[in-house]
Amino acid sequence: MKLFLTRLTLAVGLAAPVLFAHADDQVKRGEYLARAADCMACHTAPGGAPFAGGLPIVSPFGTIYGTNITPSKAQGIGLYSDEEFFAALTEGKRRDGAHLYPAMPYTSYHLMPREDSDAIHAYLKTIEPIERAAPETRLSFPFNVRLGLIGWNLLYGKALELEPAEGKSDAWKRGQYMVEVLGHCGECHTPRGLPGAMQLDKRLTGGILNGYLAPSLLATDLAARGWNEQDLATFLKHGMSAQGTMFNEMFPVFHNSTQGLSDPDLAAMATFLLGDKPPPARALVEVPVDKLSPSAQRGRQEYLNVCAGCHAAGGEGKPHIAVAMRGNTTLRLEDPRNLLRVIEDGIGEQKFSGFEHMQPMPGFAGKLSAQQLTDLLNYLRQGWGGQSAELAVSNVQKLQAQAPSVEHNAH
Amino acid sequence: MADRPLQLTLNGQSVGPVDIPDDLPMIDYLHEYKNLTGSRLGCGQGICHACVVIVDNPDGTSEEVRTCITGAHYFEGKKVRTIESHAKRDESGQVTELNPIQQRFVDEFAFQCSYCAPGFVNAATVLVEKLQRQPIVQSQLEQVIEDSLGHHICRCTGYVRYYNATRNVLNDLGLVKEG
Repeated sequence: MKLFLTRLTLAVGLAAPVLFAHADDQVKRGEYLARAADCMACHTAPGGAPFAGGLPIVSPFGTIYGTNITPSKAQGIGLYSDEEFFAALTEGKRRDGAHLYPAMPYTSYHLMPREDSDAIHAYLKTIEPIERAAPETRLSFPFNVRLGLIGWNLLYGKALELEPAEGKSDAWKRGQYMVEVLGHCGECHTPRGLPGAMQLDKRLTGGILNGYLAPSLLATDLAARGWNEQDLATFLKHGMSAQGTMFNEMFPVFHNSTQGLSDPDLAAMATFLLGDKPPPARALVEVPVDKLSPSAQRGRQEYLNVCAGCHAAGGEGKPHIAVAMRGNTTLRLEDPRNLLRVIEDGIGEQKFSGFEHMQPMPGFAGKLSAQQLTDLLNYLRQGWGGQSAELAVSNVQKLQAQAPSVEHNAH
Repeated sequence: MADRPLQLTLNGQSVGPVDIPDDLPMIDYLHEYKNLTGSRLGCGQGICHACVVIVDNPDGTSEEVRTCITGAHYFEGKKVRTIESHAKRDESGQVTELNPIQQRFVDEFAFQCSYCAPGFVNAATVLVEKLQRQPIVQSQLEQVIEDSLGHHICRCTGYVRYYNATRNVLNDLGLVKEG
């Protein structure tokens, strides 16, 4: 008997660390997956406790608040079983049976395997429970009727299907999971139709979000804007590359998610986005000043007046102060919207990985006339963005009219 | 870079047209072409605000503009005041009377090394002019001062005295009502 007990003790003693080690691994894996899924971005208010909810997400239907997903039993998800957590993640179903608004990207997460969901849940159980109720979402009628989401979910909840992976590299397959499912990149980079659902036939071709364009991520479009695999992975890792810096809604994505992903995963994301046989990045053709249109030539003087102090007269930028304009990906976008919005809204001071940072950029809304803005856009786009199209004042005024009236958080 | 003509009103005097480089920063124009060296080049990145001048807008409002990151040609046709414009002078150019902000900053030892002082004087002057058009009440005062001066950097930690002096001068000028 004594021998048996000794053996039992020994066995348990040996097994326990293995079990704990397994649990530790699962929590660590869950922490990484939660980072890749960027749960933090919506489930944490600015300056608030991690995952305690409260971030207002402005949608065309009203403001939706990120919920508290700490293990608080009263305010968070402390009572959720793994099964219930999986249903919330992949079907948008709350523990009480109510439907989550599809600001929660279950439309992408529905392709997440159960073991990844369990790992994220295991990790979330280890964080500090915060006894704080997130503000209640109040949408206008009829969007406040959560039952209405049953029909919506039938149509769109699981509509996303991944591109077949046959014949693709392992990196491509991993990248597809990181981009399409965990990273849920398509939720912003895909245009949305009238009922707020992603237009899946236009998947990753770009979407408008609070006045800014989440640009197309199609390989040909990325290559046309000067992206190659290495630069794309660098951009995700450091928030900046030769093509510029992340700003607006993408800045918190970098901050909370992509900068903390492994190098192989970032390379895999770039491989998926550009394909196993990436199209060559289009070389930038610079146009000499005397070959520019009259509007662009006037725009050059606007640039020297209000931009060159930081971005340099030759457009090469200044380290730690302002990004280069020459070859900047935002200038190379066919759609001038983001360039206009950045010039009008400015960008707050940004901290990147390590000690890297960029100074705040002042906004010029109300300081430059529509004509001055048009000239400036033509100079930047034609001179350093490889764009041949000439913008008219009416193009700029139309875009100005579409800008959100409430001041948006321009990172 | 080519030269192009610039014409503006500088401290009440019509200037130009004068040919200057198209990419010349305003701070260099003031220092090197006009010998107006009171505006200070600090960070050169638009952060410290030691270099600000005042632009008088056609609608009667006035505003600060950073001259280290703004080209001289931005000021084409505009009315610009620098720190040199505030005090009254006699015929020989000697200062006979400071403006109320300058006097108060001196009286209350608001600055130490003074490198940031021209920027603070201009910012506080813009604030005085704004409140002359639209006075505020006491409960708004602290926030208004913070909004107006908070972006100016002082490395001698003189903020408290700058703020105190500004608070006092605004009250003395009757620009802050009860409430």
